[in-house]
This record gives sequence, C-alpha cells and structure tokens, in this order.
Amino acid sequence: MARVLIVEDDAQTAAEIAAALGELGFDVECAYTGREGLLKAAADKYEAIVLDRMLPGDLDGLAVLSTLRAVGVDAPVLILSALSAVDERVRGLRAGGDDYLTKPFEFIELTARLEVLVRRRKAPQRETMLRVGDLEVDLVTREVRRAGRVMELLPREYRLLEYLMRHPGQVVTRTMLFEEVWEYRYDERTNVIDVHIGKLRRKLEEGGMPSMIQTLRGSGYVLRAAE
Amino acid sequence: MSSVRLSDLHRTTSFRLALLFVALFGAASLMLFGFLYWRTAGYLSAETDDWLAREQAALARTAPGELAARLDDHGISDPGLQRPFAWFDASGNRIAGELTTLPSPFPPMDRPFEFMLKQGERNVSFRGLAHRLPAGGIILVSQNVHEMNEFSERLVGAMAWGGLLVLLMALGGAALTGIGALRRIDGVTRAIERIVGGDLAERLPTRGPGGDLDRLVHVVNSMLDDLERLMHEVKGVCDGIAHDLRTPLTRLLAGLERARRRAMSADDYATAVDEAIAEMQGILSTFSALLRISEVEDGARRGGFTVLDLAKVAADVTEFYDPLAEGKDIALSLESTGPVEISGDPSLLFEAISNLVDNAIKFTASGGRVAVRTFCGNEGLGVIVADTGPGIPAEERDAVLRRFHRAEKSRHTPGTGLGLSLVAAISRLHGFRLEIEDAGPGCRVTLWRDGGPGEPAPSARQHLADVERKVVHPEKLAAAEIVSLKP
Repeated sequence: MARVLIVEDDAQTAAEIAAALGELGFDVECAYTGREGLLKAAADKYEAIVLDRMLPGDLDGLAVLSTLRAVGVDAPVLILSALSAVDERVRGLRAGGDDYLTKPFEFIELTARLEVLVRRRKAPQRETMLRVGDLEVDLVTREVRRAGRVMELLPREYRLLEYLMRHPGQVVTRTMLFEEVWEYRYDERTNVIDVHIGKLRRKLEEGGMPSMIQTLRGSGYVLRAAE
Repeated sequence: MSSVRLSDLHRTTSFRLALLFVALFGAASLMLFGFLYWRTAGYLSAETDDWLAREQAALARTAPGELAARLDDHGISDPGLQRPFAWFDASGNRIAGELTTLPSPFPPMDRPFEFMLKQGERNVSFRGLAHRLPAGGIILVSQNVHEMNEFSERLVGAMAWGGLLVLLMALGGAALTGIGALRRIDGVTRAIERIVGGDLAERLPTRGPGGDLDRLVHVVNSMLDDLERLMHEVKGVCDGIAHDLRTPLTRLLAGLERARRRAMSADDYATAVDEAIAEMQGILSTFSALLRISEVEDGARRGGFTVLDLAKVAADVTEFYDPLAEGKDIALSLESTGPVEISGDPSLLFEAISNLVDNAIKFTASGGRVAVRTFCGNEGLGVIVADTGPGIPAEERDAVLRRFHRAEKSRHTPGTGLGLSLVAAISRLHGFRLEIEDAGPGCRVTLWRDGGPGEPAPSARQHLADVERKVVHPEKLAAAEIVSLKP
C-alpha cells in the first residue's frame, strides 16, 4: 500500500485530501507545518508527498521542498498552491516539484495526478509494445490492433490512446490529457476533449467490440481491459 | 477649511522667496545709500575744511598789529554772518571780529569742529578752526554749514523715505504673489479633496499651457484620466462579478435548500450534490477566467514568451476543434501562407484562437463554415477566424470586448462572457490588434500586427534575446523532465 504524506496547514483541507486518498487505498499521514512535514518526510519513506505551497512560519512549501531534495529525499512531490501565475508554477517545479495543482482543485484531478506520480516510479523503463486486454499498441511501428485487427487512427487519436495505454486502470483527467497530448497548458473548460475521446472510443468499439474507455463523473477517463 | 488665510501667508514659498529678495535688495540699497552719503558728506566737509585751513593760515601770518583791522574788514564783507572770524585773548574774551564769545565747551586747537550759534530765533550750525597765536590769543575762523547739514539731512531723509516706499511695495508684491500662489494651491487642494472624496471626474485647475505649476498640473490631470478609466473598468468588472457570480451562487443556494426541504432519497441528494458541484465549477471557471485576464493584462505572462509558429498554433486549434465542428456539420478549414514566427506564449495564443473558434462554432448554424487563416507578409502578420454565423452588429463590437458582456441573444448559451475580453487581453500582450468585422454574412475576427516575418515587435525582441539565452524555456524544461521520467 502506497504511503503518502500530506503537508497542509489547513486541518480541514488536509482531512479532505486524506479522506479522498484513503478511499483510493493510500496510506495517508498528515503534517500541519513545514517543520513537521520536513521531519516526517526525512524520517519515513513515502511514495509521494502532497505539499502546500504556502505554509505559515519560517518554512514555506518551497523551502521544505528544496531542503528535502537537498537531503536526498526523492519521493515525487505534488505542490498545491493558491498562486496560479505561470512563474509560480515554474518556481515550484524548479524547486524540485513533480507536478503543480492550483487551488481550488477537483479531487479527481489531485488523486489522478498523484496516482500517475506514484505509479510512474514503479513502471518499467523501456517498452516497445503496450498491451491492455486485447488492445495492442506497437510504439515502434505505431500500429494499433484490437483482437488482432489493425485500426486506422489519426495522429492525435494515436497519442491519446498511447497516453491512456501507458496508464491502464488509472484515472486520467481532461486537463492531464490536454497537457500531455496537445502540450498546451491552461484550464481547458470546453467539452472538446470529450468529443475526441468519443471518436477514439467509437473506433475502438468498431465491429461491436466491448467498451474499454470509461468516462468518470467529474472529468476523467479510465482505460481498462474489456471484460 | 482651505480658503486663503492671511495668517498662512508667511508660510507660502513664494511669499518667503519674495521676502528673501526684499531683504537682499534692502541690504544692497542700504550699502549703496551709505556709500553715497559718506562720499557726498565727506566731499562737502572737506571743501569747508580746506577753506578754513587756508583762511586761518592767512590770518596767522598777519602781523598782530594789522589783525584787528583785517578782521573788521572781513566783518564788513560778511554782513550775513556766513563766515564769522574772531580774535580772542587767552582767557577767551573777544579782542576783534564778529563773534562775541568763544564757543563752549572750549574748542580744540588746529582741528575742525562744529558749534552752534544763536542767530535770532534759531540755532545755526557752524564749522570752525581755532588756532593759538604765538603772540598769545586765539583766532577762530568759521563757516555757516547749516545748508550743508540741511542737504545731508534731506539726503538721508530722501533715502529713508525711498527705502521705506520700496520696502512697502516689495512687501505688497510678496503678499500678492504669496496670495496668488496660496489661491492656486487652495484651488488644487480643494480639487484633490473632492477627488479623494470620490468625485473622480474632478480635475486640477489650470491657467493655460505655460508655467511650471501648469505643467505639473497637466501631468497630474492625465494621470487622473488614466485612474478614472481604470476605476471605471474595475467598477464595471465588479458589477460584472456581482452579477455573474451572484446569479449562479443564488442557484446554488436555492438548489441546496430545495434538497434539504424536499429530498426524500439518497438519489435525490446525489442529484442535488451533482447540481451543486456543476454550479460550483461554473463559478470557479468564471473566477479563474477573471484572474487570468488580470494576470495577462498585468503583462506577467511575458516571462513565458518563446519563439513559436503562429501557423502551427492555429493548426493545433483547428485540429482540436475539428471533431466538434464535424459533429455540428460545420466545415472547419485552415489556410496558411507558411510559418508565422513570432515571440509569444503558445498556451495563451492557443487559448485566444480556440476562444474565437469556439465562439464561431457556437454561433454558426449547421451547414455553415468556419475558416481559420494565418498570414504573414508585407501588410502584417496574424490570424483570422471567420464564420458564416449571424455576425456581431457594428454597435456591439466594442461592447463584446468588455468583460462580462454578452450579446442579448446569446444569454442562453453557456459561457462566462469573459472569452472575448480574455482574447483582447492576450492580443494586447502580444502587440496584436483585435478587429471585428462583418464578413457578410458572418463575423470575421482578426488578430494582427505590422511587421514582416522574423520581425518581432520591439517589446518582443528583448524576450527573444532572453529565450535564446536560456535556450529552453523553464516551463518546457520542467515538462521535458517529467516526460523523461516516464516509462
């Protein structure tokens, strides 16, 4: 079971995050000041750390992060911040953060991103073939087959599918897809990505194949092997 | 509280300056007058003293026997007693001459002195020179210096009166300029008090284009123009926020209260919660759109500038919206005259163009067309989004750029009403002009600026240099690091 440390000064926010992560099966520990967070993170091994950017006292989030990185704690860190400006994000990532989420956020966004961070470390380094159920993607030839039948995908559809295939069984949000597949970064609020997913889904289900991409309430998708 | 008060006059700068000049001028005049007086009076008494010395020497050379006769002759030639001579014995009794007694106190010998002589009713000044004769006795020669003294007195009087007059005029002038300055300052102060009190349309009073104070007042007034415009914008935004956030907040509250009153089952509650979450997300997106606009208008995003191809961004947007247009049976086309290299923030430009394309698709009926075209040539560079929708009436084209404005007929379509003002802010950040035209039929929005290919706006040039120095933009760098960690 993955252990996650939450460093957040607002007790209720911390409790909400802990509850949401607990439901996903994470073992959660909370710290309410930068000092406490630093001590806990240095003493124990965590799979991931959720760190509030603005903490009261002399140790704010970025100071905690730089100190952790300096003493060799390499657990992935997701920074939470009420500061949305781009340079704040850049500063957070430069200080050693792995991802940055602006408050207020939807919990599906937090949990999905955290899951990606945790699993990324466990994944094998090199692959030439991705397989989920009867769906195969050849990363070298860019060929996609379902149950042995080759499928014609547009380049963007291929990249969408590749990203989903790299995170099978994990929740992937619209924002994550937009950032990773289109490589632009802003709070995309239209339903255009749904339309793209819909097209991909129809292609995957051609010939009466069972559905593989599940839409979650909120704004996420999960790719699973068809049962 | 701020009218002209004479008690405050002495504190004004111009009054003090005027007083300083009065003091300097007064000191200079006093020195000049003193010098004139000293030279004039000195000249006059030196003339007299010379004459006295000559006459006295002549008398002293006269033989004692002839002296009395000579004095008598002199007395005859001087009936007005203007130049009285006299001879006294050692005890001071008159032997001969016009004067009856030695002046008292006893005069100094061989040194000019002044004494008074009663002539009729008045005392008259004389200047005299006494000499003790070797044979005994004292001779005294003297001259009436009354007129000479009178002249000196008048000279001093005239100088004093003149000085007083100049002083009064200078004080009056200082007071006038001081009061004038005080009035102006008071006018400015009153205007500022009214502005502080909330009347932003008030301006500082001016007296025309010249003058140092006027130049300052003009600068302050143009600053006030800017402030007033900004305040109006802020007020407009606040009204917009009040409306566009209160409305969904009211729905949110009403929905939650309805659920508490009426919800019977867990499903009812789940529906109410879903509705509340949807409202909340709408509110949050309005809120973050507002923050984004101010962030973009702040210019802080220039830090994210990099060299990019506008044609590629436009192609990405078109590709992104293609399925949506297809679903609505709208032909979405892309035209390009080749790469359009500019310095900018790719995400912001994507957001701006996609806002335009999103609007175009939203307002174009099925079977219509939406065209995205990038251009780069001598006439300038930019991107055009044209549609065959209903278009925007000419009188509404400015209004649509304002925050929260929505055309009356589009009230029912979802959206924050902030899209076009965000586009306007992003295009300003990139030095683009935003033009809305009639495409007959439909609407054509153009983002463009002057400058050929590879000729970024001056403001962008610095950023280009920055980007080149860094080689890779930090945000991209961070993203690249994340990607490289992946399996």
